[in-house]
Amino acid sequence: MFKKVLIANRGEIALRILRACRTMGVEAVVAYSEADRESLPVQLADEAICIGPADARRSYLSAPAVISAAIVTGCDAIHPGYGFLSEDDGFAEVVRAHDLTFIGPPANVLERFASKEATRRLLGSLGLPTIPGSIGILRDDAHALAEGERVGYPLLIKPAAGGGGKGMRMVRTPRELEAALNVCRSEARAAFGDDSLYLERWLDETRHVEVQVAVDRYGRGIHLGERDCSVQRRHQKILEEAPTPSLSVEARNELCTRAVRAVVSAGYENVGTLEFLVDRDGGFYFIEINCRIQVEHPVTEMLTGIDMVAMQMRIAAGEPLGFSQSDIVSRGHAIEFRINAEDPERDFRPAAGVVERYLAPGGPGVRMDSHLYAGYEVPPFYDSLLGKLIVWGPTRQAAIERGHVALAELMVEGLVTNVPIHQALLSSEAFLEGRMTTNLLDRVGAAAFLAAAARA
Amino acid sequence: MTDDQRPPPSARGSHEPRTAEGRAADHAAIDRLAEDLVPALIAKLSASGLGEIEVVEETWTVRVRRPGDAIAGHGRRATDRPSRSQPGHAGHGHAPGGFEGHRSARDGKPAAVAHGSSNGAGPAGAFESGAGGGHRPTESGADPHRVVATSPAVGVFQPRADIKAGTRVRGGDRLGAVDMLGIPQEVVAPADGILGASLVEAGQAVEYGQELIVIELAARTADARTAERGDA
Repeated sequence: MFKKVLIANRGEIALRILRACRTMGVEAVVAYSEADRESLPVQLADEAICIGPADARRSYLSAPAVISAAIVTGCDAIHPGYGFLSEDDGFAEVVRAHDLTFIGPPANVLERFASKEATRRLLGSLGLPTIPGSIGILRDDAHALAEGERVGYPLLIKPAAGGGGKGMRMVRTPRELEAALNVCRSEARAAFGDDSLYLERWLDETRHVEVQVAVDRYGRGIHLGERDCSVQRRHQKILEEAPTPSLSVEARNELCTRAVRAVVSAGYENVGTLEFLVDRDGGFYFIEINCRIQVEHPVTEMLTGIDMVAMQMRIAAGEPLGFSQSDIVSRGHAIEFRINAEDPERDFRPAAGVVERYLAPGGPGVRMDSHLYAGYEVPPFYDSLLGKLIVWGPTRQAAIERGHVALAELMVEGLVTNVPIHQALLSSEAFLEGRMTTNLLDRVGAAAFLAAAARA
Repeated sequence: MTDDQRPPPSARGSHEPRTAEGRAADHAAIDRLAEDLVPALIAKLSASGLGEIEVVEETWTVRVRRPGDAIAGHGRRATDRPSRSQPGHAGHGHAPGGFEGHRSARDGKPAAVAHGSSNGAGPAGAFESGAGGGHRPTESGADPHRVVATSPAVGVFQPRADIKAGTRVRGGDRLGAVDMLGIPQEVVAPADGILGASLVEAGQAVEYGQELIVIELAARTADARTAERGDA
């Protein structure tokens, strides 16, 4: 195991990694930007080091700054958390070249899965169903139109390097496809520095179900079940739960088993998440893999009792998994609410300011992962995530009831948060009946959910 | 303002060997010039819009120059550091127009142990408790006589070999570099002045924004002198 880990991230995940390090007896150094000087992970750390200004490009996204900080503080590993440098194969390579360990997949593995389009083909060839789509990257407009005709409309244009919904467009006709190609190319170039595009058949009314896997250096892989992340707003997850209410036990088992078999064959290493779209008939299609610890990992931790950050570190340190699939027992139901500083009544615009009062909810099966404290000023430079409230219950109904109580107990004064939308969701028929699809919140509108909850 | 101005002591002569007494006399003369002549020159400079004024007073030459570079540099970097009124920073007000890198609570602390002693002090006090006492009143940005050159990066500090305490520098002058993974990041003087204490050793690890070298400002303001007299 490592002696000392540099935590190259901020907010709740920096705190989560710090806690994992402490339980494992590993020293940790929190790397922070000037804007995060007063953040909770910095204050709770035994050691912290300022790596740059508020601008993430010169701090959390600066490979030289992060690696230099690891070297001068005597660390032997770097945990990148999620976002920032967490899936950057170039960064992982430079980390290794400095005799440090990147806590995540090795650089060559990250590189293999860097292109969504190539990954789709690779895992498709290893037994995962994929959404029908173009073969390879679109060479030019004529190629795009020919492939569009072959796959069939409506289509989704997707950037090969992308994520987070940038550069994506749904088109219904060849004419719309032709018109959208240039916009998507320039969006993809601006967001990812790569304007390669591919096409996928557009599936209506889908659920987002993802499978958590872990593979050690010796090719032994397990899955930790799935998570349902169908509650989204503009392709951003806001609530996740497990198990998915949309699939039978048998279907879930098949999905997870096939997912782990495919990634092991593809040579994956460390923790990862395979994302699938599930259609109305229960058919599932692989869309992409996330080569990092995910925001919603606590959902899986609540069900399995496994500390996933600790497991991630052990795998990165070269330790074998030490247990097999049959050792993993998944109990009950868990729901995670992402608490964001944004106003659901004002189109979810990000809110900033000082947290005047803060109280985390408690009780059985309630977990709050947050970097908030009273007096903390939320800096305007980063994402709006204030924390994650996770509830567990022996059944979905019990988890929902605990969710109601915990959301009511949670106190964040001084900032507008999206707690009302979570409360509205928990009262909505669509959620209670397990009918949420990825575009429902956008299609119906958050206001409609809030209004329905107010009437109830 | 110049009522009590006296010429420099006649004992001072460039050809005479410098004795302890002579040095003391020189320092006394410099203090008097700084106290009386320099504020007048600053006032004149401010009113005139000139870039520089130079006067010869007996054997002394006094030059006052607008620190243009420092102002530009301050304006740019100040946007990187949002102002806050957190409990942890409540005790020490920042000087109006203070220069970059004047976080008093962190003076002289080596990066690698930045919070080693502060753990457990609780959120509000964590940063204060790491201050280490001694430096704060003098090297903090609240002192209008001094500014501090700060680190532009996290890495290893190497000062320029040909400068030391007492060297006169201009705003923008290179004072050394912080090696960030083999990429030298220049440390520059934020203002004109005379180099004072080095707060870190050559070859020491530093973090971004860490205070490195004190610079005694070329001019003292009349207000500050008045305040000092009141203290005495």
